[in-house]
Formats: sequence, C-alpha cells, structure tokens
Amino acid sequence: MTTTNSIKIALSTSLVASLLLLNSAVFAMELTPLDPAKAETVSFRKEVWPILKRHCWGCHSGGDPKGELSMDTVAEMLKGGETGPMFGPGKPDQSLLVEQIIGVEPAMPPEKAPLSQAKVDILRHWILGGAKDDSVAGEYKVTIPETYKYAPAINSLAFSTDGKRVAAACRSEVVLVDAEGDEPPQRLPTNCDLISHVEFSPNGELLVAAGGSPARFGGVTFFKASDGSVVNTREIGHDTFFRGNFSPDGLTLALGGADGAIHLVPIDPNSPPQRFELHSDWVFDVAYTPDGKMLVSGGRDKATKVCSVETGELLRSVDSSTEWISSVAADEQFGIGGGRAKTVTGYELKIALQNVQVTGAGNGAKPISRRAQYVKAFESQPGEVIDMVTSGDRKSIAIGGAYGDVRVYTIADRKRTALVSGVPNPVFSLALNNDATRLAVGGKNGEVRIYKLPEAELLKTIVPVPVADPK
Amino acid sequence: MMKLIRATICNLLATLTVLLVCGSQVGRMQTGIAYGDDTPTNISLELAGELTVRPSEMKLIHRRHPQSIIVTGSTSDGRLVDLTSLAEFKSVDENIATVNTVGWVSGIANGTTEIKITAGGKSAQVKVVVELPESARMYSFLHDVMPVLSKSGCNQGSCHGYSLGKNGFKLSLRGSDPSLDLKWITEEFFERRINRHNPSASLIVTKPLGDVPHKGGVRFERGSLLHENLLGWIQDGAKADGEDPVELISTSIYPEKIVLGPQMQQQLQLLGHYSDGTVRDVTRLGIFTVNTQRVAAVTDEGLVTATELGETAVVARFERIFATANFIVLDANPDFEPTPVPTDNVIDKFVVQKLNRLNIKPSDLADDATFLRRIYLDLTGIQPTAEEVRSFLADADPNKREKTVDVLFQRSEFVDQWSLKWGDLLQNSRNRLSEPAVFAFREWIRGAVASNMPLDDFVRKILVGRGGVSDDPTSAYFVVSKDADDTLQRATQVFCGIRMLCAKCHPHPFENWTQGDYYGLHSFFNQVTTKNDPRLTGVANAKSVMLNLQAGYSRNPRSGQLQPPRYLGGDEPEVAANTDRREVYAKWLTSRENPFFARSMTNRVWSYFFHRGIIEPVDDLRTTNPPINPELLDALTKDFVEHGFDVQHLMKRIVSSQTYQRGSIANATNGHDDMNFSRAIPRRISAESLLDSLVQATNVPERFPGAPALFTAKQLPDGNIQSEFLSLFGKPRRIEACECERDGGSNMLQALHFINGKSILSRVTSGNGRVAQLLKEKLSDEQLIAELYLWSLCRPASKAEVDLGVSFFKKYEAKRKEAAEDLMWALLNSKDFMLVH
Repeated sequence: MTTTNSIKIALSTSLVASLLLLNSAVFAMELTPLDPAKAETVSFRKEVWPILKRHCWGCHSGGDPKGELSMDTVAEMLKGGETGPMFGPGKPDQSLLVEQIIGVEPAMPPEKAPLSQAKVDILRHWILGGAKDDSVAGEYKVTIPETYKYAPAINSLAFSTDGKRVAAACRSEVVLVDAEGDEPPQRLPTNCDLISHVEFSPNGELLVAAGGSPARFGGVTFFKASDGSVVNTREIGHDTFFRGNFSPDGLTLALGGADGAIHLVPIDPNSPPQRFELHSDWVFDVAYTPDGKMLVSGGRDKATKVCSVETGELLRSVDSSTEWISSVAADEQFGIGGGRAKTVTGYELKIALQNVQVTGAGNGAKPISRRAQYVKAFESQPGEVIDMVTSGDRKSIAIGGAYGDVRVYTIADRKRTALVSGVPNPVFSLALNNDATRLAVGGKNGEVRIYKLPEAELLKTIVPVPVADPK
Repeated sequence: MMKLIRATICNLLATLTVLLVCGSQVGRMQTGIAYGDDTPTNISLELAGELTVRPSEMKLIHRRHPQSIIVTGSTSDGRLVDLTSLAEFKSVDENIATVNTVGWVSGIANGTTEIKITAGGKSAQVKVVVELPESARMYSFLHDVMPVLSKSGCNQGSCHGYSLGKNGFKLSLRGSDPSLDLKWITEEFFERRINRHNPSASLIVTKPLGDVPHKGGVRFERGSLLHENLLGWIQDGAKADGEDPVELISTSIYPEKIVLGPQMQQQLQLLGHYSDGTVRDVTRLGIFTVNTQRVAAVTDEGLVTATELGETAVVARFERIFATANFIVLDANPDFEPTPVPTDNVIDKFVVQKLNRLNIKPSDLADDATFLRRIYLDLTGIQPTAEEVRSFLADADPNKREKTVDVLFQRSEFVDQWSLKWGDLLQNSRNRLSEPAVFAFREWIRGAVASNMPLDDFVRKILVGRGGVSDDPTSAYFVVSKDADDTLQRATQVFCGIRMLCAKCHPHPFENWTQGDYYGLHSFFNQVTTKNDPRLTGVANAKSVMLNLQAGYSRNPRSGQLQPPRYLGGDEPEVAANTDRREVYAKWLTSRENPFFARSMTNRVWSYFFHRGIIEPVDDLRTTNPPINPELLDALTKDFVEHGFDVQHLMKRIVSSQTYQRGSIANATNGHDDMNFSRAIPRRISAESLLDSLVQATNVPERFPGAPALFTAKQLPDGNIQSEFLSLFGKPRRIEACECERDGGSNMLQALHFINGKSILSRVTSGNGRVAQLLKEKLSDEQLIAELYLWSLCRPASKAEVDLGVSFFKKYEAKRKEAAEDLMWALLNSKDFMLVH
C-alpha cells in the first residue's frame, strides 16, 4: 500500500517537475537580448567564478576533470575539453558553454537544477564582453604568522649532510635548527600551505621543501643550503605532494602526490617534470634505490611498488597491505614499506624482480618468485607507522608513528639497535644523521627532539618557531 | 501568482484581518543553506484572542546560542496560525539582549529584559534573563562541529560517511563516532585538513565553501552559522572537548501537533535537552524531513509548508537524536459537527477523538452480512457458509455480533488461521528444519493457539528451547537461525517490531541504535550452537540446539571490545556466570514494563484486522515512524498487558469496536482518509484464505502434492508445498522474519488466473461441485440465484441482482447448467469475493 502510494507520488512530482521545466525552457529558448554596456562590466572574479564553482566545479575542476574539461581558469575554458573550446570571446550564443546550460532539459549540470536565467545571462554577458579574466594571479596567498598561536606540527625533518643542522617542516615554512648548539633557528617561508617533505641534496648544497596547498597545487622550493636563499620554486598539478627522495646524483627529486602519481622534479627549473601513474590512489612516499635506477613507492592504495626510473614502468607490485602504506625506504638489498597495518616489511629486490622482463607492453613484468621468497618482515610496531627514515649511509632505519616510541634497526639483519621511548605521540616525522648516531623526532605537538643513539639520550628539545602560548 | 484563501467567519467577535505572507524570510541566512525561491502566497485570516509566544520566558547562558521565539495566533474558528514571520520583535534593553527580525534572541550582557512582540495588532512579551559565563566558551567539537558535519551532509552515506569514505576523507556515518571524526579531521596527513594558524585556509572549510574543487559541491555559504562554527573551532585550536562533556539526552519539536490549512506555513523550533539540565535551541542545526511528502514540505531551517490534505510526521534530527511532530493538513470546515466521543470503548474513544480533530465523520456501521463475512475471514480465514449467513441474518439477538466472536474462537479454523500466522513469523519451514521438526513445532504452535496461551508465555517458551525435536519442539526456533546474528534480528523484528540489521555494521540511520546495542543483543544469543541430532540419522536438517554456557560476550567490531548483554534501550543487566542468557532476555522481553513487546504485538494484531497497523510497517517501529494515533496504541497496549497478554481478549476488543465494524463506503468527509480508520478499507484476502474460501464456496477441494490428504491451504506445514495458486497470491516462503514477505498485492496474473485458470473454471463446472449439487435440488431460478450469492459472496442477492439473474436464466433456459456455472464464475470473479470489505 505504502509502496504503491509513494511510487504514484514520485511519478506525479516528476510530472510536475517536467511541466515546470517545460515552462522555464520556453523562457530559456528565447534568449534575451544582451546589453553591450553590461557586457563591459561583468567581472569574472566577482560574478562568473562563483557561478562556475557552484554549478560546474563538482566535475570540471581539479586533477582529473570530467571530459578532460577543466573550468578552473579562463585559459582552460578557452582550451576546452574533449568536445572543444567552451566559447569564442564575443560570441556567447554560438558557444558550447551556453548551449549546454539552456534548453528544455539542459545537458548541464546533469541531474541538478538548471542554472537560473540570471546566471545564464551573466555568463553570456561576460563572453560577449570578451571573456576577460580579472582574476588576480596568486590571489591565493599563504600567510605565515610572525608568532604562532599554536605550535605547528613538525611534518618532516632532515639532517644536513654534515649533521650540524636539522631542517624542520613547520606548516608553510622550513626552519633550520642548530642540531647541537644554540644558534637561533633560521625560518625559510614558502608559498605552500603545507610542507610535508624536507631533504638536503646528497652533496649538501641544496635544501628542498615540498608539499603544496591542498586541492590547489603541488609545490617544490629549492633553497641554497648554505644561506637559505631560494634557488627556484615550482607549482605543479592540482594537489599537494607528500614525501619523496633526492636521486643519488642529486639532480632529481622524486615525490608522491595526492593526484596518485609519482612525480620526478628536476632541480633544473628549465627541465620539465615527469609523472608516473602506477598507483590507484594517493602516493605517500617514494624512495630511490642507491643505484638510482629504481623507485620504491607506497600509498593509500595499500600497495608497495617498484618501478624503473628510466622508463617509469612498473617492475613489480611487491606487496599489498591491508592498510595504507605511509612510508617507504630502500637500501642496496631491500625495498621497505610500512604503514597503518602496524607492520614494516622488507622486500629483497633481487629475488622479487628475478626474471622480470621489461617488454614495454602493459607493465611488462612477469615475476616468477612468490611473495614468501623475498619478504623479510621487521618487528611489528605497536601502532600505525607514519614515518620511516634511513641514515645517510643507508645502514640504519628509524621507524615511528602513533605509538609513543621510535625504534631504530640495522637494515641488513633487521635487528633493533635502539628504542627511544617517551616521545610525544603521535610522531609525524623522523631524521637520522649519516651514521645513525643522532635521531631527530617531530610530531603533532610541534617539538623537535634530538636524541643521541644508540643510548637514546635526549640532547635537545626545541620548538622551531616562536609560539605565543606554548600550551 | 496569488492564492487567496479566505477563512469563513462564523461569529462576530472583534476580529482582525492580517495578511500572512508565506515563503517568508524565517530563518533564512541563519544557516546559509541555499534553497530555491518560494512563491509568496497570501492568505488572509481573521485573528481572535491573544498571541501565544514560545518560550514565554527564556534564560540565555551562552553567547553563541541564541533562542528563537515562535509566535502563534488563533483564528476566530479556533485554529492556530503561525505568525512568527509576520511579527515584529523589539528588545527593551539592547545592552542586555538583542533580537533580530525573525525573532532570534541573543544574550549580550548579564541582566534581565523583555522582548516586545507585535503581530496582527496584538502584542505579547517574553522575559529574557541573561546569565553568561565570564569568559567566552571555547567552540566544542561535539556540540558545534559535529552538527555541522551532519547538517551540511558531509557525513551522509553517499558522501564521506560511506564505509570507505569519499576521495580519501572518511567520516563516521551520520556522526556516530565523534572521536574517530576528530582524529581523521585533525591528524591524518599532517593536519592537511585543518590549518590552526590560518583557519580560513583549512581544507575542511575551503572544500564545503567551494573555494577549491569539491566533488560534493558547495555545502554552505561564507558567513553562515555552519561556516562560523567550523572556523571558530579551528581558531580555538581544533581541540577535542575537555573531560566529562555534557551530553545531549533528547530533542523535541515545538509545536508537536499542528493543524494547518493547505498553503499555510509553520516555523518549527527544535530544542536539544542536555545532561546538565540545559536546553539549547538547535533549530538552525537540525536536519528536517517529512515522512509523507505529498502532504507537506520542510526547509532546512524547519519551515513547514502544507501542500495537500492529509497527515504526516515531520522528523528532525540533531546530532544522533530524532524528534517528530505530527502535521495535519485540512480545510477549514466551520460547519463540521464533531461526532460524540464514545466513552464505553477504548478504541472508538481515541479513534473518534482523532477523527474530530481532522473534521472527519466516520462511516456508518457495516450491515450484518458484511460484518459476518469480515469477521469470519479475519478470525478464521474462511467465509461463512450459506447456512451460517442465513442463520446469522435471521438471529434477532442484539448481541449476535459479539456472540459470533466467541463461537469463532472455538472453531478449528481459528487455530488454523493463527497457527499459520505464527508459523510465518517464526519461519517454521523445511528450508532449515527437518520434516519432524516442522510438524512438531507446528503442533506446538497449534496447541498454544487452541489453548489461548498468553503471549508472554508463548514467546518465553520459544526463546529458551534446547535439545532436538523429541526434547522440545520449540528448539526449532533456534535451528531456523543461521547464527546468533540471525536470531537477534529475527527476535527483535518479530517480538519488538524493530529492525536491527543496519546496526550490525553502522549506527542505524533512522534511530539511535548503535553497534553497541546490536552486539549487546548478540551477547544474549551467542551461547547457542546447533549440531546434528544423532538420534535422527538420515533425516535431512535434523539438528539439536546446544548451549555453551561458558561462551564469552560478543565482540563489537568497531570498538574491538567485548559487549556485555544489553537490552534495547541501553540497560546492561548483571548476568551471573554460567547462566543461559536467553532466559534473562526472555524475562526482560516479556515483562510488563517492556516498552517494545506488548506495544509491537498489539500493533501487529491490530494490523491483521485492518488495512494497516497503528504504526506501519508493523515491524519497523522507531521514533521516526510514529503511530498514527498514539493514544489509541497506548490505551490498547495497556489493556493487553492488564489482561495478561491474552490475545483473544485483544482480538475481541478490536472486533467488538465500532471502528472495526464500520462500512467501507466513504461519506462526504472521509473519502481522502486512508489512515485513521474512519471507514473500512478493503483488503485483498490472503492466499490461503482465498483458496480455502473458494473451495468452500464451490465445494471442490484442492489437492496439495506432498501434503497430507485433505489439508486445507491454511493447514499446510510450510511454504515448500508446490501450489501455483498460493504462490501467485503471495504465500510467503518463510525465508524472512519480515511481515512484508507475504505479498498482499494484486496483479494482472492473478486476474488472468481467476478469469481463465482452472482454479475457478474447473470448480464451477465440476460434476460434484456446488453448482451441480444446487441444480439437483430443483430450485426455482430465484432460489438458485440466492443460493449462489450466499455461497459466493455471503450475502443475499439484491432485488436488482435477482431480476438480472432471472432474465439471464430465462435467456439461456436450454442451458441452465451453463448459465448457473457462468453466474457463479462471475460472482467469484467479482471484487466482492476477492476482498475483505
């Protein structure tokens, strides 16, 4: 009884809806004459953009827009998507854009209320007036407080090659902290909202800060390590980078991205960046093998993968976890992945990639070894693993996360060499110096702690930025 | 477009005419949720009497928690009109409290003042006491942010509340787990989603504002309350709430019962009641829906617009707690004369009271023949015979209707009818039971029905069965279940009328049941295991119910903790080790205080005598599905409990009422009513009763392959007997514990089967059937026609019908047999036969 009634009601309302549509369509079909004076005054930023973001951006924006049509910028709309440019300036009523949003049942936006006549007319006037772009370049601006109200979380840490300084990612800036002495911290601002990776280049000359502004762009800034001056800055793609690794030759930075790709960003600003699309979700971390030929990557698709740097081809998905892989590392022998499943696993690459043929078709990999043959498990961790870092000599690995201690192991035999307990929980970032005699730990509470290893002796605790209320 | 509905005035009191402009600005810009333009509708009404304001006084204790005022006037014909959108509000001392144009009062500084209200030339005032804490309160994640995540739809099932989240961002479904939500918002990906240093740059703010690409679109406007709350909380450091947070205990809607004319509007006020005794106006953060959208529509701000005549519940949710208000839309009818309210019958009293509120007059009582057929079909699942009709009609006893009820309770078909019903509900079937077990359980049920075993006893016995068929026939109940999940879902649905399946994996979407509640029930049943019964080797499905008293409690997969047994409603009883926890459950379930058992059973039994339950569906009881007549259900439930769960008593109460005995013909006032029992709404006879009635009318039995000879359709052991007729008319297979498994609907195949199928054709033409027998009796045409009507439709043929029949018989004098067969065929194909009316 109830079902029949509700079906009847649904039918009658859709009937009413289509009748209403029919009425409004009559109006919409009779496109009203436009006013050239009004066309001159329409502002993209103030009038057009709010319409686009409400009615179009759900599908046509960001990293993977529908129909390859991005409506993020005027330039992208002029370029158009699969079905060509959206409009020619000055010709609103011959444009694809207007054609799509008017009519009995407008094609766009699908399954949603059609744009009102007033909104359609704003778009038409704007196109008539030449589709001028009055959006202000760089309108989105990162602000960095002089003094913070709350200590920002420490999202990434790195020891300088000489081990004397520690770079700490504090929200939008990088702060260089004296590892042992009392030199005042040096603050290096960036144009990114969120820095999630800092690293010194292998030769020690460059310091990189990578991250981006969520849902806006991925950003990389190279600084001169000696004085903190900016060498170059790049904005890439539509979403942030997470973590990565300098290539052993120091010429390229590999990064995982929130667009699901592995990005290779050359330090040379004139070289184009590359992207490898191997994962089906965000890539959290990428690590080079010491020979620079392969990349180990892991991410939110729970997979740990190995690919060729030269071709970008997948060599093998070495593992599939039950949870996200938050961090990866590599030495001569092993690729290593760890994450939410509280496990850290080493993959003996030589065995894992035995008989892998790179054919160029598909992923081309035809491995013969079974997982059990190449997997070497580390001790299970008490909680979610958030960061894993290797020492400069790649002999040791430090592992930390949401469990209040940090554990250090020798990679070759996976034996634990140090346990640093009582660290503020959760730990977001770690760094080891060249020979694993120093450990830097950072986390949500905003402190950087420096420990001496293997004794786990706390040498120093510092909040890198000025904070008004240290609570 | 202007609609002018003028209320008719019936007295000459000093009245004032006001113009109500609907589609008003009430609440708009309060939350910033965008919605379409309203077409203003003007309604003119005459006001009489004073204004009512709610609340009549208020205490403001929080700077950011303003309180709304609802202003109500009454018309000269006694109806209430919402004047909130029309009223003017003015604070006497703006240094103490301010009021905006739509009646929201904010506390500014400690002290006392008044809000002056004028509407339609009348005035009223609200006393305001402001007692603010010395320092501004921090934004609370629980009380300020969680409601935003719900109100803006972030945590709904199709968005981030989906079990895997959306685009990497997961929230607990409809805000069931604030602690996980807090963690996901503040910690994942290095605080990617919030920026405590530059709050407006936080992703969790820029996404719903649409400032950055968001697949979910723009969820709220800049400067809206939702925006303010999120931003304020991040500005305060995006912290968890402190120790011992105050809890929301309940919510309520004002007004709770509303009668409106079509096109009229009512602003709702949604209040949250907290564990510290405070009350907060949460109208702006509530989520409003209407159960019957044909009748009314509600905006995100809680402004209801009546559309069509009828009745609906308006449901509001704040955090995880629901409240409902009852909306009745009816035309003004000053000429309506209320029906005198019967005082001697609890059912008629509350039904008529409700009908009077709806300006509905009930239909007249059905005539004797209609009553007799109805009560036979309802109580015994079979039509009365021609003799029974004749003798009832001839009986001059004024108490003959009541007398018949007692006679029917003694009939074997009464046992068939209600054993069939219980067999369905308890899923007694060879799907999972052995044949001996099905028959043993069937016999046990028949015994219980025949002896009118009190329902609490009946259910208690079923819930503690153990061993095999030969030990205890009721053990079958547990063998039917695949596991403890199955048992708890079946038991809760059948005995409490509550569907718990949703809560197995996530909090129930329409009720406040959580996984804790679900696994609390699970722990009552997880001691049960079944194993093959060694005494019945070679018998398919022969199982024995075993108890492992040492079994621990069930694990709640979300918390990972063991969940001690928990009754529905939250109490966790002390259960001694090594006890059969089913006994504890059964005792609680059937106790007189249990709010679910007697009520759902009363409602269920009611539904078997009408076209619907007082709550419908009968096995989906929840706050958000309120009874159509709560007073009626309460009174009847109380009566059922007071009479020791005596089902026959309950049935007799129901069938003795005028409400049950009403005719199905609508009068001028109740044609649109199909919910309030103002007339009998015809129902299709159930598959088994239809077949048994057909067999009786034609005197040609049905043979069921695989069933003992001479079993009637109602006596069949389960749904695994092949019968084209029964499956076509919706006999359930007893696979589900849901009342909905029985299909009471009508379709084309059924009609074709009646027209062309052998069920009727072969019966009316049978050489041993009713027609053949009557022809042998050498009756006149008139007598033959009368007999055919009595057997087929259980009523005397009318004069016109007899005349028509006689002329038909005259026309085919040479083919009298065929003419008689045709007449009976036509009668059995009529709606009068197919329906209980």
